[in-house]
Amino acid sequence: MLLILVIGTAIAFDFTNGFHDTGNAMATSIATGALRPKVAVGLSAILNLIGAFLSVEVALTVTNAVVRLQTSSGAPNPELLVNNGHELLMIVFCGLIGGILWNLLTWLLGLPSSSSHALFGGLIGSTMAALGLGGVNWMGDGTKLDGVLGKVIMPAFASPVVAALVATIGTWLVFRITAGVAERYAETGFRWGQIGTASLVSLAHGTNDAQKTMGVITLALIAYGSWTDTTDVPLWVKFACAIAIAAGTYTGGWRIIRTLGKGLVEISSPQGMAAEASSAAVILTSSHLGFALSTTHVATGSILGSGLGKKGAEVRWGVAMRMVLAWFITLPAAGLVGAVCFWLGNGIGGFVGPLLVFALLLGLTGWMVAHSRKSAVHAGNVNEDWQPDAKPGASIAANDTADLKA
Amino acid sequence: MFQLFGVAISQVVAISILVGAGLPALFAFGIRALAAGAGGNAEVSGAVGKPAMKVLAWVLFALVLAVIAVGLAVIVSSGFGYKVSFEHFFPTFIEK
Repeated sequence: MLLILVIGTAIAFDFTNGFHDTGNAMATSIATGALRPKVAVGLSAILNLIGAFLSVEVALTVTNAVVRLQTSSGAPNPELLVNNGHELLMIVFCGLIGGILWNLLTWLLGLPSSSSHALFGGLIGSTMAALGLGGVNWMGDGTKLDGVLGKVIMPAFASPVVAALVATIGTWLVFRITAGVAERYAETGFRWGQIGTASLVSLAHGTNDAQKTMGVITLALIAYGSWTDTTDVPLWVKFACAIAIAAGTYTGGWRIIRTLGKGLVEISSPQGMAAEASSAAVILTSSHLGFALSTTHVATGSILGSGLGKKGAEVRWGVAMRMVLAWFITLPAAGLVGAVCFWLGNGIGGFVGPLLVFALLLGLTGWMVAHSRKSAVHAGNVNEDWQPDAKPGASIAANDTADLKA
Repeated sequence: MFQLFGVAISQVVAISILVGAGLPALFAFGIRALAAGAGGNAEVSGAVGKPAMKVLAWVLFALVLAVIAVGLAVIVSSGFGYKVSFEHFFPTFIEK
């Protein structure tokens, strides 16, 4: 029973991961009109789907980066396996809930925040609640980049800065080089480049992120005893995760797309291309060199950089600061939810505990979705002019309540 | 730990600037050449088009596509247990 809850929650997390991150790849293409909104999310969804299948690399040890639930071979720690792995399943379950709730809350606020940080935060919190501070892999053994510090915190500080730097240089070069070209002519030409580079970001996202959920589900299956191979992921898990992330992407986190595409910088297509090229380059080189950066942090940094690199472009630092603040609290906030869920679920115990926690997840999800309807952002209004200091969607709600019900 | 991170991140910075800023720049040269080839409305100066520039433009775009193809090869190959080596300058697949 608990296993089914864990799998369902993991797939739900994968879905939120997809729709939370659509904007990373497609926000700029949507904002400049290179792609119509629905086409953009459709293209991104297909590429995420393909990406998820391409990532056959085993991601079974994904949790090892931050917590000590598994051995380095991917097998769960034996002491967590009593009673069909009940404790491990509870930890994973509560960690996932922490990740989902944080993803939904930041979506409601229109803030792009890292889905992997939300997942890691949730897992850290539930592990701490279950096993104490020692259950968390804070910094590995110091011989390589590992643990919360080496794999989560340090990359989080560096990646937006690196991406912003690359995008600033790229944007500056692009505008220098095309100085004599008529603006409209350049705008049309760069749209093609933009579509190409944005597609690359989508594909990279699918290969990086879907496999995290695959790893988590497989870990749960092994803990329960219904899967034993630590070198492979069951085929149906691969399918389920690929479809979930693609469906999430297609749903489109329009609130986040709006913030990234319109809120941060007024973006033109040369800037969009420079930003996506920077994102793709940073994500691919870092994962090629063996340490994964958050797609969200990189994409946000790139878009910011594309504003810095263009003379006279306005960068809305207020919006940027709100995002950075959200990044700072992602880990502790998701962790807190994970920990509370574990205390609640484990304290009540039996099968009532997990069910209650699950009901809590459903309830809060329902509340947030209902709340988002009040100022819905969707494909039709995602590109409306940005009103300074407005809450996401607030400026929209005022002038087109008519098609909210559509 | 900080030292390890410093090394890793500086590699990312170096390669990313080369590829992530170089690629848009290359593409921009392509657009520049295409505009010079088309002439008239495409150019701020309104100069007459030079057809030879169009050829140059498409060579540049082809180069951009080639770089993207290498990028794709990097993503795909790592999933299948291969990696792309730049040892001999031209990318080749080797087993991990």
